[in-house]
Amino acid sequence: MSDPVLSAGPDMLEETLGRLSKKPGVRATLILDRASGAILKTSGQISSIRKTKAPASSLPAVGSFSNETSNNSANQDQGAEELASMVWNFVNTAGSLVQELDTEDEVKLLRLRTKKEEFVIVPDAKYLLIVIHDTSA
Amino acid sequence: MQQRRDEILAKKAKLAELKRQRELRASQATARQSISSSELISPTPGRADNRREIESLINSLVGESRPVSVSTGANSPRRGSRPNSVLSAGELSIGNNSEFAAPANANGQVASSQPQVLSTSLRTVYECPPSPVKEVFSYSKGVQTTEEWTSPRKSHTLSESEDEEPPVTASPSKRLSRRQRDREQELRDSIRKEIEEELRAAKELVTDGVLKPSAAANFPARALTAEELKAVTQSEDFMDFIDRSTKVIEKALDQEYDILTDYTLQVHDIDDDDEQHGNTGGKGRRKVKEVAQFYDERWSKKRMISSIDFSPKFSELFLASYTKNPTAPHDPDGIVQVWNLHLHDRPEFVFHAQSDILTAKFSPFHPNLIIGGAYSGQVLLWDTRARAAPVQKTPLTGSGHTHPVYCVDIVGTQNANNIISCSTDGAVCGWTVDMLAQPQETMTLIAPLPAKVEDLSPLCMAFPQADPTFFLVGSEEGTIYPCHRYDRAGAKAGVDARVSYKGHAAPVVSVAFHPARGPVDLGDLVLSASLDWSVKLWKVRAPATTSAVVAAGGLGAASGETQVSPLLDFVREDVVYDAAWSPVKPGVFALVDGAGWLELWDITVETEEPVARISPSPRKDGRTMLSKSLNKVAWEPTEGKRLATGGIDGAVTLCEVGPDLGGKEGLKNEEWTMVKKLVNKIEAVGVNNATAM
Repeated sequence: MSDPVLSAGPDMLEETLGRLSKKPGVRATLILDRASGAILKTSGQISSIRKTKAPASSLPAVGSFSNETSNNSANQDQGAEELASMVWNFVNTAGSLVQELDTEDEVKLLRLRTKKEEFVIVPDAKYLLIVIHDTSA
Repeated sequence: MQQRRDEILAKKAKLAELKRQRELRASQATARQSISSSELISPTPGRADNRREIESLINSLVGESRPVSVSTGANSPRRGSRPNSVLSAGELSIGNNSEFAAPANANGQVASSQPQVLSTSLRTVYECPPSPVKEVFSYSKGVQTTEEWTSPRKSHTLSESEDEEPPVTASPSKRLSRRQRDREQELRDSIRKEIEEELRAAKELVTDGVLKPSAAANFPARALTAEELKAVTQSEDFMDFIDRSTKVIEKALDQEYDILTDYTLQVHDIDDDDEQHGNTGGKGRRKVKEVAQFYDERWSKKRMISSIDFSPKFSELFLASYTKNPTAPHDPDGIVQVWNLHLHDRPEFVFHAQSDILTAKFSPFHPNLIIGGAYSGQVLLWDTRARAAPVQKTPLTGSGHTHPVYCVDIVGTQNANNIISCSTDGAVCGWTVDMLAQPQETMTLIAPLPAKVEDLSPLCMAFPQADPTFFLVGSEEGTIYPCHRYDRAGAKAGVDARVSYKGHAAPVVSVAFHPARGPVDLGDLVLSASLDWSVKLWKVRAPATTSAVVAAGGLGAASGETQVSPLLDFVREDVVYDAAWSPVKPGVFALVDGAGWLELWDITVETEEPVARISPSPRKDGRTMLSKSLNKVAWEPTEGKRLATGGIDGAVTLCEVGPDLGGKEGLKNEEWTMVKKLVNKIEAVGVNNATAM
């Protein structure tokens, strides 16, 4: 008997993530590769997360985008990339902290609460799942 | 032997040779490093000397009118600052080498052209070997120039306009072609460019902190192509990760209490007015309140709930079994979902079967195992550590059940327990958990003689707490029969023909023994629910004494049968589908009916009316007709504060009861004696008087 959960793979993936992002207050989800930080999947309004434009993004040389003329989707992509890089560095720093305390330990969950929102990050051996949701709601 | 020794010797020699070479290399490297580090300490003179040397060399080669001030540049403030910057940048590049290595791949195409120019020009220009500093420098250049190719171009044009004038005005060389000179110039420019670059990077480093520039430089290592993305997102690892991580996150999001709430700030009104809020029933300490509903869009849709059971080990987990979804023929017919109190929108686990699941239950002896009975007659075993398919199931052959299995149970002790299953044709089978290929024991229940037909179709089954060899079955015709698994004194295995519990006029859908755990033994009280719109309370005769009772009373001597009447009759306004004793309060039980009510009764308080009742809130997008009927109810066994119920609309509703109906605090011994007294009084006075009191 074939396993229906696995055979319906992509559907289930979409459905699971869709349901997750439909939960009240959820603003964005992001799945990264743990080793390289490459973005595997995103959903939600990632550009809305970042209120402050970093000085780095005003420099012409960051990323391969032609900066000023970039359309909305490119902007979104870049926003996701920047957010991904920030989160990825955060997770790695947290990971190294734990490693230095106890080499056999590892990070299982990161919840970063701010005044406005919360980042819930699940690090795994190979992937990272990040969900950003409003805490005021 | 000798040969082998020779071989070893040869190898040793080789090893020594290798070691020597490595040492040699190491010493060379350290020498080089020490040179560069000495340069670091006193950079300007050595560097300037070096420069001058190179310039003179170039001049001797190029041969004429290059302005000395430009080439040496020792006096100009900008040039003067340059050696410092080079060295600091070099230092930096050593530290950051590994991090800069990654982007090198990305821009590799552009970068590769640069060192090539460098090496050729070096070889053609210098007769003597280049100085070690120069060598280190040119090496790091190949790696470092890779980032940010747009801005350097600007500085390149700038410097060109500045520096190119002398060569342009200069007359052509005799020995070197113009091209070579240009190349020379290019090298110079690129060096300067790079210096400027690194100077700026160093400044940024100082102002912005160490992490940021390096992070920006190496993130992401590279973007994945569409195929790679697809490969990753379809891998089993990935699915597994998504499954686990989303569960964690949903639990985190479903957590209602905000741990950061600051009660000193009275910003938001904390709505503690529970009385008006939400779906509640009953009053004060006998309140019942809806806590949560559990429904999964994918799996719960268009299915009915056929049974509910709480995990004996984890009080937040409970399972619900479901019948088939008639609109999804490709989905498995039967499923079992394990729900978590802290995860509302999706089940913790989903288990499948090829036929409708009619009943399912956690094994009390192994928290990972779940047993179920299917419409096809199969008994199934799932493991929460395994995938969705059952780890074991009985075959569809004549040796087991061939009719729907509406009741399964696990009886025995931790070390010796059996699965007992019962199908509607009256077949009762005993199985071991390890082997479901064949039943360990089989027995067919036959209705005792005065019945018109000998068929007996059990719909429910209950074992007393104390005795795994005796059980009651509730039959389709309305009679409850006591049964023995084995022959015993005065009775054969199968239905005990001497006693029957008659009272219901329609199929009995549930029987439940009192969970006796108190100062007074109430283990002989049985609650039965029937489609005749009633719940009845019975006092069951102990199996060992039935013969004595018959002998002493001689009541049914003519027919050879004792008919026992119910102690109490709770008549309702609709068909009753299930009734369950509270696991902690001796007089409390819950029932669910076809009108969608969950009712809570306390026989120590009131035997005519429920003390509290609640109807689960309908789902928003659910049907309006025929969606309210509740099919099953179950208590959380350890605390006895929560109840789960569900029915035709496929949603499981969790309710919490007030302190007088559940929970272990404030449990009084009098309650037990009150129940006992009530039972004794009814027995003495008779049913009709008791219900009229």
